[in-house]
Amino acid sequence: MLTKNAKSPPLSSATLHILLALAGGNLHGYGIIKEVARNSDGHYRLGPGTLYDNLKKLISAGLVADVPTSSSSKRKAASAQEEDRRFFSLTREGKDALAREVDRLQGVVTKAKARLQEARTGRA
Amino acid sequence: MNRAVSRLVYRLILRLHPTSFREEFGAEMLWIFEQEQQPGATVHLFLDGALSLLRQRFTSQNGTGQLSIASGVMITAPGIGPVRFLQAAIALSLLCLGLMLLRVPNPLNASVTWADRMPCYTVTLQAPSHAEVVLHSTP
Repeated sequence: MLTKNAKSPPLSSATLHILLALAGGNLHGYGIIKEVARNSDGHYRLGPGTLYDNLKKLISAGLVADVPTSSSSKRKAASAQEEDRRFFSLTREGKDALAREVDRLQGVVTKAKARLQEARTGRA
Repeated sequence: MNRAVSRLVYRLILRLHPTSFREEFGAEMLWIFEQEQQPGATVHLFLDGALSLLRQRFTSQNGTGQLSIASGVMITAPGIGPVRFLQAAIALSLLCLGLMLLRVPNPLNASVTWADRMPCYTVTLQAPSHAEVVLHSTP
C-alpha cells in the first residue's frame, strides 16, 4: 500500500487531493471537501464516503493523523458547530509522500512536454 | 426529494456500513451530507454513499470476499454469507435508485410531467371515499 520507501506507487487522485488540501493546514472533513473543490476550480468534488474511506487508509498508513480536540495549534473553525468536528493533519510521512508524488508528476509533465515537442518538430 | 426523506435514506445507507466504520465516521458523514444537501447534489451524495458501502463491505474486511463488477458475476468466498450477499443486494438497489433519480430528478412530480406531455388535458384525482379521475378537455 502506501509505504515510506522511495519506490511507493503513485497516489490515487483522491489521496493526492486530500494530502494537498491538508498541506495548507489542519482541516475537518467538510473543510477538506471544500478545499479540494477550490484547488481544482470545482472540477474535482469528493463525496463524504470517498473522503472518509481514503482518510481511514491514510490514517492507518500514518500519512494523516487526528488533531487532538484540545489542540491549540488548530483550527480555523468558522463556527461553534465546526469547532466540534474531527480535525485531521498531515504527518511528516504524509508530507514526504506528497513531495514524492509531486516530484513524480513533475517528471511525467517534463517527459510529456519533451514528447510533444518531438512530435511537433517531427511533423514540421 | 424532501430533505427529511433524503436524510432518512442517507442514514439508512450509513446504517448498512460496517459498525466500526460507522462509529468512527458516520456522524461526520451525516453532517457533511446535511451541509452539502442541495437539489442537484443529493443524487451524487447517495451514489457516493452507496459506493462507499460497497467498498467498505467488500474491500476493507481483510479481503474476505471479492465483487467482480467487470464480469457481472459475484464471486463468493467463505467470508461472504447470505447476510453479506443481502447487504450487497441492498447496496446495489440503492445504487440503482440513485441512477433512476439521476434520470428523473424528482419522481414525486409525476403529475407535472404528465401535464407537460398532454397539455390539452387536466387530470384531477379526488380521493376521500373513492378514487375519481376527471378529465377536462381544453380546445
